[in-house]
Amino acid sequence: MTDGPTDTIVSVKDLEVEFPTSLGVVRALNGVNFDIPRGKVIGIVGESGCGKSVTARAIMQIIERPGRITGGSIEFHRKGSEAAADELLSEPEDKDAATRSGGVDIAKLDPNSRGMRAIRGAEIAMIFQEPMTSLNPVYTVGSQIEEAILLHQTDDKQQAKAQAVDMLRQVGMPNPERIATSYPHELSGGMRQRAMIAMALSCHPALLIADEPTTALDVTTEAQILSLMRDLKSEIGMSIMFITHSMGVVAQLCDEVIVMYLGRVVERASVDEIFYNPKHPYTRSLLRSIPRIGAQRQEKLEVIKGSIPDPYTRLPGCTFHPRCPDYMDGVCNTIIPAETLLAGPTLHTVRCHLYSDNNEGEPDPLATEGASAGGQATDQADKQPAAASALKA
Amino acid sequence: MLVFIIRRLAYAVLTVVAVSFIAFFIIELAPGSALTEEFARLRAQGAEVSGAQIEAMEKQYGINDPWIVKYWKWVSGLAHGNMGQSFLYHEPVSQLIGSRLALSVALSFGAIIVAWAIAIPVGVFSATHRYTIPDYIITVIQFVGVAIPEFLLALGVMVAAVKWFGLQVGGLFDTQYLNAPWSMARFGDMVSHLWMPLAVIAVGSTAWLTRVMRANLFDVLGQQYVQTARAKGVPERRVIWKHAVRNALHPLVMTFGTTLGALISGEAIVSIVFALPTTGQALVQTLISKDTYVAATLLTLLSVLLVVGNLISDIALAWIDPRVKVTD
Repeated sequence: MTDGPTDTIVSVKDLEVEFPTSLGVVRALNGVNFDIPRGKVIGIVGESGCGKSVTARAIMQIIERPGRITGGSIEFHRKGSEAAADELLSEPEDKDAATRSGGVDIAKLDPNSRGMRAIRGAEIAMIFQEPMTSLNPVYTVGSQIEEAILLHQTDDKQQAKAQAVDMLRQVGMPNPERIATSYPHELSGGMRQRAMIAMALSCHPALLIADEPTTALDVTTEAQILSLMRDLKSEIGMSIMFITHSMGVVAQLCDEVIVMYLGRVVERASVDEIFYNPKHPYTRSLLRSIPRIGAQRQEKLEVIKGSIPDPYTRLPGCTFHPRCPDYMDGVCNTIIPAETLLAGPTLHTVRCHLYSDNNEGEPDPLATEGASAGGQATDQADKQPAAASALKA
Repeated sequence: MLVFIIRRLAYAVLTVVAVSFIAFFIIELAPGSALTEEFARLRAQGAEVSGAQIEAMEKQYGINDPWIVKYWKWVSGLAHGNMGQSFLYHEPVSQLIGSRLALSVALSFGAIIVAWAIAIPVGVFSATHRYTIPDYIITVIQFVGVAIPEFLLALGVMVAAVKWFGLQVGGLFDTQYLNAPWSMARFGDMVSHLWMPLAVIAVGSTAWLTRVMRANLFDVLGQQYVQTARAKGVPERRVIWKHAVRNALHPLVMTFGTTLGALISGEAIVSIVFALPTTGQALVQTLISKDTYVAATLLTLLSVLLVVGNLISDIALAWIDPRVKVTD
């Protein structure tokens, strides 16, 4: 599937994000690897706090302070053109973010640099979970959409206005001229999310990041928004990175699924593989905890035992081992599992010792040196060269 | 918008009427009258004041009328622009108040402009550089500014000005200009006397407003729409000034009316310390000597100022936040 750099829009490698707080450093992402192919919908699922939203914000470079990217790369490839990087990185201080394959390493760009701002909104757009609060209450919906258009596409205010109204029509707003002059508080939640989508798509981005866009909406509106996104995806030809914790939404919308747990990608596969052939114990538990129609009435819903450990402590070995039903003592709690590529018709990787030969992966110094070693010593240990080579195979 | 303003104006008139009523009633509650002091003064001069004389004067001035009658006398006079006569200063109230009110208004509005002009940029800086050394320094200065009593600050500034800078403080003019006709030099002299009390009055509310601005803006910066603006590719400076500050100004504008009230009372204290002829100073004097007509007129005029301040803040709020018009 990953034929080359031109086929992927964003390729995330060994991404690490830390939040230094007064209680200690929270390592939100510990080496995240994945690619987003052009024109596909990638679902990212996982419990709250597993790093889904942080990953999305890292790609946009809008991580909230004091969080920052501490390692890895986010390579962005603009469609087709070789000169794309030069065009985006016109400022001299942005030049070192250009990568050898003609892409842009977002992780190397300053969050407020001209290069990053040229990508944000124009190349990669984002919509958020809370439609009630994601529009500025003191400006009209139209002017907020126009702002994005004026920033990236045209200097002509009249044209921007027309384009904004047109965009509102495209997302299925009734009477778009009137909506453009209304304030956010005059619209319902579903309408606001449509307006957000209109704003995000107004500059025809190559990638749309949707951070739980339907979580705050009722099911009817959710279905409408999902079908709208599906239609617009094929119309505009963009990729979507869809963050959710609803497996139902994943099944409806996504081509590929990434399962995250505690700042790591534990399983990546096509949507069929995830549902019919899940490998990682965490993915399996996640799927078993979905309520089903037709289940026995008295049957209890399965839950994943335990809860996510507190973010300040770091677990040695596989971070899922305290909750894992297939826990192997001496292996899972000492060695960080490498990403293993499974045989099959589609790309399917999993990070679990159940599927790796001879306990592939690096022993975690945390386990051998004891907790006294602290966090600093392990910075390099998590990086998995084996994972990268497995992908190329 | 027009309906909104008209309705607010109607409320404002009602408020002023109610305030004048209550103010008059409360002043009249206290025992004694302005004449008590007048008699004491006459006696001190050695004059013989007989009971009949007292009675005659009380009757002449209507001292023993019920307060509601006096109120009506005062209000109907007020409607014709006649505010009565001051017992204490022996001059018509309108003449007494005129120049003082101008000075008070100049000081209070001057202070509010200074406070806003400093508080907004400093508050924005503080909120966007939270938990850095400059922020800590600003925070310490703010706390000192809020905590220090105005009279103490006024005294401290006066002492410093006289001792180290050799400036003349107190009063409105230097002695040489006291009775001189108006000229540029006289005006300049007045300004040089006024900036110090103005600064003292402004300190407290500047510190307070900076605190409010910092807290508000910090809240707003955590809002989703700020991230939306960033995600659109809006430059950070514009994210803050266009998207965040306008939403953070909201509570600041709302407190405009109350800030004005605090400034007026602060102005009274500072004016007494600096010996400035303002309404605040006159108000305290006339209240002590129970010069009812002056005190009630002053209170009513100050409440008019407050009501106008609130009216301005209401209109400004409706202008910066479209949600206000709907909820009202």
